[in-house]
Amino acid sequence: MARIGVFVCHCGENIGRTVDCAAVAKRAALLRDVVYAVDYKYMCSDPGQNMIKDAIKEHNLSGVVVASCSPLMHEKTFRRTVTEAGMNPFLCEIANIREHCSWVHEDKPVATEKALDLIRVMVEKVKRDIPLDPIRIPVTKKALVIGGGIAGIQAALDIAEGGKEVILVEKSPSIGGHMAQLSETFPTLDCSQCILTPKMVSANTHKNIKLYTYSEIEKVSGYIGNFNVTIRKKARYIDETLCTGCGICQEKCPQKKIPSEFNEGLGMRKAIYVPFPQAVPNKPVIDREHCTKFINGKCGLCEKICGRKAVRFDQTDSFVNEEVGAIVVATGYDLYTIDKKTDETLKGYGEYGYGKYPDVVSGLQFERLVSASGPTYGELKRPSDGKVPETIVFIQCVGSRDEAKGVSYCSKICCMYTAKHTMLYKHKVHNGQAFVFYMDIRAGGKNYDEFVRRAIEEDGAVYLRGRVSKISEENGKLIVKGADTLSGAQVEISADMVVLATAISAQPDIVPLAQKLGVGYDQYHFLSEAHPKLRPVETNSAGIFLAGACQAPKDIPEAVAQASAAASKVLGLFSSLELEREPYVAKVNESTCVDCEFCLTACPYNAIERKEIKNRKGEVIKVVSHVNEGKCQGCGTCVSICRSKSIDLAGFTDEQVYSQINALFV
Amino acid sequence: MSNDKISAEVKKLAGELLESGKVSAVVGYAEGTLKGRVQTFIARKASETEKFIFNQNCANNLAVYLTKSYNIISAGKPVAVFLKPCDIKSVTALIQEHQLKREDIFIIGLSCQGVLNDSGPAGKCRACSMHNPQYYDALIGGVVEEKEPEVTDPFARVKEIESMTTSECWEFWMKEFDKCVRCYACRQACPLCYCEQCIVDKTRPRWIESSAHPIGNLGWHLIRAFHLAGRCIGCGECERVCHQNIPLSLLNMKMSKEIFDLYGYTAGMDEGAKPPLTEFKMEDNEEFIR
Repeated sequence: MARIGVFVCHCGENIGRTVDCAAVAKRAALLRDVVYAVDYKYMCSDPGQNMIKDAIKEHNLSGVVVASCSPLMHEKTFRRTVTEAGMNPFLCEIANIREHCSWVHEDKPVATEKALDLIRVMVEKVKRDIPLDPIRIPVTKKALVIGGGIAGIQAALDIAEGGKEVILVEKSPSIGGHMAQLSETFPTLDCSQCILTPKMVSANTHKNIKLYTYSEIEKVSGYIGNFNVTIRKKARYIDETLCTGCGICQEKCPQKKIPSEFNEGLGMRKAIYVPFPQAVPNKPVIDREHCTKFINGKCGLCEKICGRKAVRFDQTDSFVNEEVGAIVVATGYDLYTIDKKTDETLKGYGEYGYGKYPDVVSGLQFERLVSASGPTYGELKRPSDGKVPETIVFIQCVGSRDEAKGVSYCSKICCMYTAKHTMLYKHKVHNGQAFVFYMDIRAGGKNYDEFVRRAIEEDGAVYLRGRVSKISEENGKLIVKGADTLSGAQVEISADMVVLATAISAQPDIVPLAQKLGVGYDQYHFLSEAHPKLRPVETNSAGIFLAGACQAPKDIPEAVAQASAAASKVLGLFSSLELEREPYVAKVNESTCVDCEFCLTACPYNAIERKEIKNRKGEVIKVVSHVNEGKCQGCGTCVSICRSKSIDLAGFTDEQVYSQINALFV
Repeated sequence: MSNDKISAEVKKLAGELLESGKVSAVVGYAEGTLKGRVQTFIARKASETEKFIFNQNCANNLAVYLTKSYNIISAGKPVAVFLKPCDIKSVTALIQEHQLKREDIFIIGLSCQGVLNDSGPAGKCRACSMHNPQYYDALIGGVVEEKEPEVTDPFARVKEIESMTTSECWEFWMKEFDKCVRCYACRQACPLCYCEQCIVDKTRPRWIESSAHPIGNLGWHLIRAFHLAGRCIGCGECERVCHQNIPLSLLNMKMSKEIFDLYGYTAGMDEGAKPPLTEFKMEDNEEFIR
């Protein structure tokens, strides 16, 4: 005979406002097999939890229903509570009367009835609950970090410093990411390379970090603690073990008119190249598309000149398998495509003439133009004729906060980097004048607003609140037409150069990777965290964490903070010998399973295997399906496909769900 | 070839197979107790093979006897079985679903000119375009000429039902299901109803009302049709054995038509194929998702 206790929470006003909790508790007490019911203002508080513990002992309860918020929020809390009172945690169930009831209804009598319905349904479930034990699985104490930008580097270093092995995978030839392209960083104006490159070197030399550059994730299988990852090492056409990075090949390569990705197309590189002098590893790659040897087989100069004989034109992509226990995704961001022609999904800003006028550049291009390692060695010269720009216009929110042409979100870093740009400009061109068109200044952060004030007050940037409608060219000048909405005047500025603060967008190739990892993403393809406030670095796939701008636009301090947070999550995971996970897994009734193997094909997690049942002589007498508990995610696909109903889901058995549905019709 | 001649060949081959010890048993047809009826006969000794016959009354799909619950197949020696071309599709499906191993059976393929039911040629035979067995270990009756079927659209009967309004359709089926006495002959005759525990017999929870009233009958027949979706090869045994004359093939053919339209898949043709309802493919038709 079941003895169920029902605990109705007011959640302050959250539930109590719309549901008559006292009445619900009173009526719940009358339900069959309910021996105790009570309501309380905050059931999750210490006194609330004690009420549950006391009632379990006093009324000898066999099951507990807590009618409160979503189980995502406090199921764990209440299960711990009942455990402390000596009850199996899986005999405690949550009736969600907040998200599923009070928050979505207004009519109090009706909501009260519904709350009671939800409780009645859970009482039927808990009656049929059986004690379950968490599943224990071993952990491979090695982490995979995907992406070698500042977030990935930081996460890898933190995990490595914690004494655990890390595999760091970067798709481009060098680690460093976008931060390596920046000149100075806000709000301190310290040189980006100076603070980043030592970290790059550490990542390469740390004894606990294994670095795979020019590599991509091919396949991911497994589950938390036990992932199996296949890494595709793209052919560099260089034997990395022989190459010393002397650079002679790069120097001699006759193909020199290839726009440099690192310099955002403003400088040129060779067909065999190291993306930038401080690259890690300092080993070149051959760009197959542009290399004469690959095009017509005629050159091969690098091969001849290489003293170490490290050039390998016959190299092919190779694959490495790695077993890891946790994955940190730090794949970073890309820039919104401004040019109308190149991106059909976004309408673009054709009126700004990006791609048409060489002196209209993106923010990242401007970084290269003022960077000491850039194509002009830090002297600010405009791309068209090399003239030093005397008037420069910065336009913020190009793509951001613009649902008609771009994206609805704020790219977050542009206000700060535009202010930084105006300062860098003024420091290089003392007589120059910077104008900034902005929508709002968003400078929340330590010393951030002070930084923007400095740009305006000390470095004389003129900020105009309004949008630019058109940019045209006239006698070597860019005519910028816009509005100053504060004075209500139309503004026309004759500028030498225009810098567009283009929106941050997700990596263009993130979706296939997210699908391989089983990580969710939003409409803009930014990866989804498990909870926006309380689990910001975890994903809904256990054991996979997020760091940096792959999740949302972020500046460097935030990316680094999140990377360290992800690293601490990984280290926390690795600190236990075994993992415990919820025992919501499918179980096969071996006496009725007929081995049609439909579940084997249908299981999306490859969690079902064939199992041979043998007699004492070792002869196979029956073959049945068997669920690998480590792999099973409890999705129930096998349960629904099994015709003979020989599979059931622990904690959500057919019988439980059936009785829950029936409870709604009494 | 005349019936007598084929029957003689059948007896001879069965005798030889048992005599030589090549097979442990032969599953075939013998004269029934009523004129024009046949029964299944299993011979385990060469002396018993005199009883075997084959003629146009041999409608039974003997593949059902190969399923595990009949326990005819024991390890070591294969069992010989007489199979018409459409019956072989059941064997293909049983192999595909791991209920049978090809090496455990010796297929005596029978080329077939169609079988009879009470009122003449069986419905399935009138739309049949496969008169020779797809594969076999021995062939009886030689290769016959494939001819255009009398009914060119195998789904013609299904389309008639589809053209009804929802209420007409409901009325039609409820009238049919009302006749069902839940004898489960349809299930027993079906080679693909091989589950050791049928969902209808499950009691915790009880998915299908077990007494013979229209709603429980509706549940039973619809769930059976769903369980056979993408699996039924259309032998028509369920309908043939139904003494209440419920047109059960129509339900199964409707499902076959849906599966064919959605996935281009026909059951019982390829033992290596993955049943379409178990598998996810990126190119799967998803127009039905609204």
